[in-house]
Amino acid sequence: MIKSIFINFKKYWFLLTQLISRDFKVKYKRSILGVVWSLLYPILMMSVMAIVFSQMFRFKVEGINYLVYLMTGLIMFNYFSEATTTAMTSVISNFTLINKVYIPKYIFPIAKCMFVGINFVLTLIPWIGIILLSYVGLGEYTCHINWYYLLLPYIFFCMFLFTVGIGLLLSCISVFFRDMLHIYGIVITLWNYLTPVFYSIEILPKKLQALFELNPLYQFLSSARSIVLYGKCPSALTLLIIGAIGIVTLAIGALVFKKNQDKFVYYV
Amino acid sequence: MIRIENVSMKFDLGIEKNFSLKELLISIFSKKKRNKKSDFWALKDISFNVDKGEVVGLIGSNGAGKSTLLKVVSGVMKPTKGKVIVNGVISPMIELGAGFDMELTARENIYLNGAILGYSKKFLEKKFEEIVEFSELRDFLDVPVKNFSSGMTAKLAFSIATVVDPEILIVDEILSVGDIKFQEKSKKKMESMIGGGTTVLYVSHSLDAIKEICTKVIWLEHGKIVMMGDAKKVCDAYYKVQMK
Ligand SMILES: Nc1ncnc2c1ncn2[C@@H]1O[C@H](COP(=O)(O)OP(=O)(O)O)[C@@H](O)[C@H]1O
Ligand SMILES: [Mg+2]
Repeated sequence: MIKSIFINFKKYWFLLTQLISRDFKVKYKRSILGVVWSLLYPILMMSVMAIVFSQMFRFKVEGINYLVYLMTGLIMFNYFSEATTTAMTSVISNFTLINKVYIPKYIFPIAKCMFVGINFVLTLIPWIGIILLSYVGLGEYTCHINWYYLLLPYIFFCMFLFTVGIGLLLSCISVFFRDMLHIYGIVITLWNYLTPVFYSIEILPKKLQALFELNPLYQFLSSARSIVLYGKCPSALTLLIIGAIGIVTLAIGALVFKKNQDKFVYYV
Repeated sequence: MIRIENVSMKFDLGIEKNFSLKELLISIFSKKKRNKKSDFWALKDISFNVDKGEVVGLIGSNGAGKSTLLKVVSGVMKPTKGKVIVNGVISPMIELGAGFDMELTARENIYLNGAILGYSKKFLEKKFEEIVEFSELRDFLDVPVKNFSSGMTAKLAFSIATVVDPEILIVDEILSVGDIKFQEKSKKKMESMIGGGTTVLYVSHSLDAIKEICTKVIWLEHGKIVMMGDAKKVCDAYYKVQMK
């Protein structure tokens, strides 16, 4: 099983890179700034949000740099939201192809999650820039650069696995049930508000806090934030849990996808 | 090389693409089960073998199930019933250029389409010149494919698809591609691919072409095999019925 996954992966790696590079070419064709947009976008987004929430609504989280708090939440949540949304439509929009050539269908949602993932990695550059700027007076408090930063790739990777799992699930469901496209649009908006992206979970009543902690995205966000903003390593249990969330979600997504993929052609 | 055993393929015309919440609600409240009459069998209990090196032609009127059969053999569709056993690597030419991205240039599409057809990076780099040369599109390499005429797109697709030395070749009515000069050239190319000991499953409406290259012909009608055997015999019988 593991071996066959590995062989398949090797066999279709080139196709995967081609699909991803296609997305890049199409996205940035005829735009003058090109990839620079990937860097600018999160900064602009964050600036707008920062003005709205910290200046107008006077949001802040006691003792930490709110700008970095906000931006960490934004780029991580946006990754999840954009990757799952595009992964969801990836199978449907490649129907003509699926109906004509044999290609493993799971490659489409995975390619989308990776393409958006590369964009996510690019947004880490301005993110680190803001973290560094907090040392020279951007915002009230400084961040904490420390050795725990080496855990960040692990946290992001767990979130990636989680995202791919959800993407596989959504792309499969939406083949049989087109309304999913609209429903998920609502779900992701709600999910956005229920995830502490621009507020802190501590402003909620204790009972609600426990409920909010069940949100996998909260676990990813708070692990990254505790390292960057508090200089604290997430507990071993937390690290284990986010790993389990990633692997279990991916396994469920892959299983559901695998079970149903042969039926896709009937719904073309 | 290819063994088809009692293959049947069912399309459920009742489940339609636009299945949605509305219909789900209707079906829950009306308590009416989907009527089973919407089942449509595109292939019914098909069995045959293709040995190594055999060139098998498929004929039959439109909607007979030829393309569906090719898709089942190439693995695009899983048959509802029966077994498909294939030994060897298949080069399917069911619809050329299916993987083209119109926004990308010809050069970019050669790599994308090649990857979709299962070629490796090394292979594509080695064969890139050959593809460009055959397609006669060297001057348009960096032009987006959306600006191509349909003939040019077809030429490019054909050149990418036929650059391999396939073990098993599956061809679905694609030979009439491009201008007359290219048609001749592509016919020659197909002949040389077929001639090299390749196992071929070939759909065409040109009975002359079928008689010329096929060792065996299967005549399909309404998803069933009407007749199978010697190329000339089957073609003549088919011709008689068609002309009646
Ligand atoms: N995905 C599909 N869903 C429903 N019906 C289909 C599908 N693909 C093919 N059919 C039906 O199956 C029959 C055979 O089609 P096809 O194999 O394309 O015929 P042909 O011999 O002309 O190539 C046709 O009646 C067609 O409408
Ligand atoms: Mg056909």
